[in-house]
Amino acid sequence: MKVHQILSGAGRHDAITNEALQFRSRFREFGWGGADHAARIAPGSNGSIAPLARLTVASDDVLLLHHSAGAPGLGELLRLPNPKLLLYHNVTPPEWLWDRAPVAAFRCAIGLEQLSELVQAVDVAAAASSFSAAELRSLGAGRTEVIPLLVDTSRLGPPAIRRPGGSPTVLFVGRLSPHKRQAEVIRVFSLYRRYRAPGARLTLVGDPVTADYAAGLRRLADTLAPAAVTIESSLSEAELGDRYRSADVFLCLSAHEGFCVPLLEAFHFGVPVIATPKGAVPETTGDAALLVDDTDRAVVAELLDLAVRDESLRAALRTRGEARLRSYSPDAVAVRLRAAVESTVAAAARR
Amino acid sequence: MTEPEEAVERARASAASMRASGAYGEETGGLQLGPEPVTTAKLAEWALIEPDTSVVGSTQRFGAPVTHAKRLLLRLLAQYHAEVLARQARFNVGVVGELRRLEERIDALERRLRGDDPA
Repeated sequence: MKVHQILSGAGRHDAITNEALQFRSRFREFGWGGADHAARIAPGSNGSIAPLARLTVASDDVLLLHHSAGAPGLGELLRLPNPKLLLYHNVTPPEWLWDRAPVAAFRCAIGLEQLSELVQAVDVAAAASSFSAAELRSLGAGRTEVIPLLVDTSRLGPPAIRRPGGSPTVLFVGRLSPHKRQAEVIRVFSLYRRYRAPGARLTLVGDPVTADYAAGLRRLADTLAPAAVTIESSLSEAELGDRYRSADVFLCLSAHEGFCVPLLEAFHFGVPVIATPKGAVPETTGDAALLVDDTDRAVVAELLDLAVRDESLRAALRTRGEARLRSYSPDAVAVRLRAAVESTVAAAARR
Repeated sequence: MTEPEEAVERARASAASMRASGAYGEETGGLQLGPEPVTTAKLAEWALIEPDTSVVGSTQRFGAPVTHAKRLLLRLLAQYHAEVLARQARFNVGVVGELRRLEERIDALERRLRGDDPA
């Protein structure tokens, strides 16, 4: 059997691209062939994902469509008679991006428009979270599968043996983009630093949605917490692992998440997580994070202080995080993936 | 010792107590909950494109020569880029103008519907 993966976009630090590569190595273990293609490939990608224009398919090859944004040429693919499996990773609501990144916003708007067409055309509709699966059902999908992101956290190296000493470090990892609300992370951090931990540091890791947006975050950080905020992009896996090992707490104030891989990475490193319960975040974290829906920045700043100082709270969160991570084990996800592909083939045969 | 389920409540109490002692003044504000709307005024501001060439660079570790080469290329292609930008700006300005005219028509129609401005 051949399974071809088609991605809306591919990039070196993109969670969906990483997942597709993990899927490919699982497919090889299953004895399945196929190739991986993307509608858009970011500069700096290592060549393991080919342009969509180069896709060639035989009539019984399975098409696995990873959907996270608008993809040109999708209509042509959907008209093919092949077995088709949709894996919906969610699309960022474009209203978050029109202001700062209109091109990305446009792609997201197209992606949402294409979603109902996808739901109607595929044999099996799956999503990376129940949150996203509900969206598929609202568009008419009769039955949906949930295949959580296949995340190999061990690629970032082992957790730290001891907690880092010195002043606390707050970390957030995620694309520098308005819907991830790094500006709010900076504002909350500045309060925490002012009233609770004068030597504290904040590290933001992520590729910017636009250079202009990253520059705006830099200016905000320099105004509110001069010399205390580091903003980094294009880190290697080893460097990213080091950032988690140096962190005392992970703060995620995203307004929208379809899954949020960095939460699992924080669990892997035993870093306590504070997050807003938006999108799929409560589902991904379960009871292993401190979920705070308060709009008062002072409450979030105090929660940071508690999560840094209270050792028993940290230990409880670490234990829960380890358990949560086990429930997302790559082997368990691979079993679901294989079942979904096989269901797709069976459903296509019944057409 | 704090259980995870009690942590947010404790943080709220702590924030209230800190506030009572004078901390967390008005600068705490409220979390920005929604995206910023894109107004016609903002679109008009964006319509004329003036790219900042100082942002062209390389994020690689030894990227200085790459940055230099990219900026040199920009200078060499300046004439071509000026032409592209002029055409794009013409389109942008035209669209924003059309949008303004449509807004004015909608406003007039709404006023007429409300009876403020009989035709």
